[in-house]
Amino acid sequence: MTYALVAGVLFGLYFSLVGIGLNLVFGVMRIVNLAHGDILMLGAFIALGVVGIAGIDPLFAVPLAFVVFVLAGVLLYWVLVPRLQGSANPEMLSIILFFGLSQVIEAVTTIFAGTSERSIQSRLLGTVFTTIKVKWFGGKAGGAGPIQIFGQGFPAPWVIAAITSLIAIGFVYLYLYHTRLGTLTRAVMSRRDEALATGIDVDRVSAAAFGIGLGIAAVAGVFAPFMFGSVTPAFGADATVTSFAIVVLGSLGNPLGTALGGVVYGLCYMLVQTYLSSWADLLPYVLLIVILLLRPSGLLGRRVRVA
Amino acid sequence: MHNASKHLLFILAPLVVVFALLPGVYQNHLLLFNFVIFLILAQGVNIIYGFTGYLPFGYVGFFGAGAYGFAIMVMHLQTPAPLAVLVGGLVAVALGLLLTPLLRLSGAYFAIANLAASLAVLHFVANPALEGITKGPYGVSLTGTFNPTHAYYAAVIVMALTVGAVIYLKNSPFGLALQAVREDAVSASMAGVNIVKMRVIAWLASALVAGLAGGIYAWYVSVFYPDNVFSGEFSIFAIVFALFGGVATITGPIVGVLILYGIYNLIGFTTPQYFQLIYGLLIMGLVLFLPAGLVSLATRRGWHVP
Amino acid sequence: MSPEQNSILKVSKLVKRFGGFHALDGLSFHVVPGEILGLVGPNGSGKTTAINVISGLYAPDGGEVVFDGASSGGVASHKLVHRGINRTFQVPKPFLSLTVRENIQVALAYGGATGTPPSIAELLEEYRLKEVADRPAADLNSAQQKMLDLTRALATRPRLLLLDELAAGLNPAELDWIAGRIKALAATGMAIIVVEHLMGFIEQITDRVIVLNAGKEIFEGTLATAVREPQVIEVFLGGEHAH
Repeated sequence: MTYALVAGVLFGLYFSLVGIGLNLVFGVMRIVNLAHGDILMLGAFIALGVVGIAGIDPLFAVPLAFVVFVLAGVLLYWVLVPRLQGSANPEMLSIILFFGLSQVIEAVTTIFAGTSERSIQSRLLGTVFTTIKVKWFGGKAGGAGPIQIFGQGFPAPWVIAAITSLIAIGFVYLYLYHTRLGTLTRAVMSRRDEALATGIDVDRVSAAAFGIGLGIAAVAGVFAPFMFGSVTPAFGADATVTSFAIVVLGSLGNPLGTALGGVVYGLCYMLVQTYLSSWADLLPYVLLIVILLLRPSGLLGRRVRVA
Repeated sequence: MHNASKHLLFILAPLVVVFALLPGVYQNHLLLFNFVIFLILAQGVNIIYGFTGYLPFGYVGFFGAGAYGFAIMVMHLQTPAPLAVLVGGLVAVALGLLLTPLLRLSGAYFAIANLAASLAVLHFVANPALEGITKGPYGVSLTGTFNPTHAYYAAVIVMALTVGAVIYLKNSPFGLALQAVREDAVSASMAGVNIVKMRVIAWLASALVAGLAGGIYAWYVSVFYPDNVFSGEFSIFAIVFALFGGVATITGPIVGVLILYGIYNLIGFTTPQYFQLIYGLLIMGLVLFLPAGLVSLATRRGWHVP
Repeated sequence: MSPEQNSILKVSKLVKRFGGFHALDGLSFHVVPGEILGLVGPNGSGKTTAINVISGLYAPDGGEVVFDGASSGGVASHKLVHRGINRTFQVPKPFLSLTVRENIQVALAYGGATGTPPSIAELLEEYRLKEVADRPAADLNSAQQKMLDLTRALATRPRLLLLDELAAGLNPAELDWIAGRIKALAATGMAIIVVEHLMGFIEQITDRVIVLNAGKEIFEGTLATAVREPQVIEVFLGGEHAH
């Protein structure tokens, strides 16, 4: 039980990281990024590349993935979104547009990488820390063993992913509440039309949010091989639905609510895995539907129902 | 002549005649069958998305439910195929009823919840714990009812009924009221329209046609796995075909299926990933450059498109 | 018979809460057939909420709405439309992709109008929509959209019509014209409730006004007497100007 709960919180923090980018994009642009999972998948491939080509700690993939996808996101925003916003029903059409994008990403990745499952040895993650420890404090070099929490051992990558998630969520908080662009972002989130009317450069704010959203997704993707065992180019579609479950749980349109949604989801996930494993596959879908119907605004949140 | 009769005579009748006669002159019957199935599904999407504005991202849930409804009747009760197809349709309607609460959600929330619902049904059907009933992930084999010729004509009949239903919607106050609900629910209720009833009827009608199509599909292929009949491609293709032609019209989805599914088959099946790349790009281009479908090229010039 | 007894709508002690906020806090009034009643009051005093409750958009949290002798609080909008209540919206939301004619056809087909339904041609003519009849509603300007909203309501033959800021945004010539139309409707026996900020317009058309403040009526009578009532002046001008 303790094991399931702690593992649930660790996974939950990671799940928050998985969902938060999707929520940022939806909150700011009312755009449903169905390619979100595919960005995660690409993040995982960056980690694979860092290990496979450079042979260094996959943690170095975190800044790399972030920078690459912030830039890619801003570029993609300018190519796709203004045109989409001009159409009659951008929210619906965004679903279809980004589905198309997800197909393109999956296809291109398959063409270059094939369909086989890929994984990274979990002891490679965090080697940078052990190396530093050995260099500065002496001692023996060795793989990061399990980390002890409440007397139980947990794989080091889970803990590292959870800590990275906390830091990333902290940065999102700082961005939204303590920077000028972040304040504008929150203004656009609450009333897009009024933000436009008050002369806020909505496109600039949105492009930034889109870039950051994709960047965070890619960072989450770096840890995907460790958290889920392996990844394939087709991993994206499932990851998208899971992200939605997390985001809706926390409340769509409220990025920090996602942190809560992620933890709740992680706990449910671990408890179902432990006690009802044959039905665990159903969890994200059923949870998503139940939450939408019973508490459509999420655990913290706003109205989404129609009259 | 009345508009509805014109539509029946000049759209529905030629379509049915062509698809009834084609098997005699064209050898690839599976391809013809798939065309008919996608015509049904695209028009089913048209009913719920075009006329009521709900994007059924998990539309395949009804299709798969119909296929498994058919399979279970045949496997466990040795039901004759046509009756099992009807049961398949009813199973989809029952699933539709179960999911009616989703209609309270708006926009993207509905689409995502519907997608989740279809995946939930897939994982439910494919669960090894239900092997005794659905054969779980191991798939079903229904050699006893195998009869592609009958299944093909059954599909043509269901297609005729579906297109007929859309012709009715296009020419009746009922269809007008559905569109009114889509445009603004509050104003529609103030025009005296019972919005909940309208949405439920359209939802169940689109569930029924997808369920019948699924039952017929099971009849035709006779061996299938959960992943086949719950494949998200059915939802996506049906939505994209309908959108490409133009929704809330009779001809839009038909043109969409004939052109896009035609191209799909011309490109060929040899390397699925190139294929995925091309249709991914096609979908993106469609949304960016032709969001109201091919028919908008005509309506922009002020031409009326049925 | 007192006017209260032959009233078509009687609202008593109506309460509507949004969270902790009491939008309506014990509102009572009545309307008789053929009467034009004005609802006036400062922003947030509950005028539009009252219309929304009477037209079935919100269910009341307390009190009673009686229309034509039967309780109507909490009844679904479309059923109230069939019973003979209709309304216009402050911001009209016509069915944008349908033509003007089709907009009206929906209301004619589903409005459950009793007796002979009004003719589309006449409605289009009378409310100056004839030229745009076959254009999508999205092409209309805001004044035309307001008229379309009104014809949509009239197509259902209401016996009680609720007008929520119909006059806002119309030019003086249009105001005179619409005032005449509203009076003509009342002359046919229709009861009309008007929510409006333009006091001149209210004065021109209403027989009687109810002044609302904080979800409650504080005055009932003609507008001319209302403006001499200290309590009304205080509500409109704020405490410091009252003395």
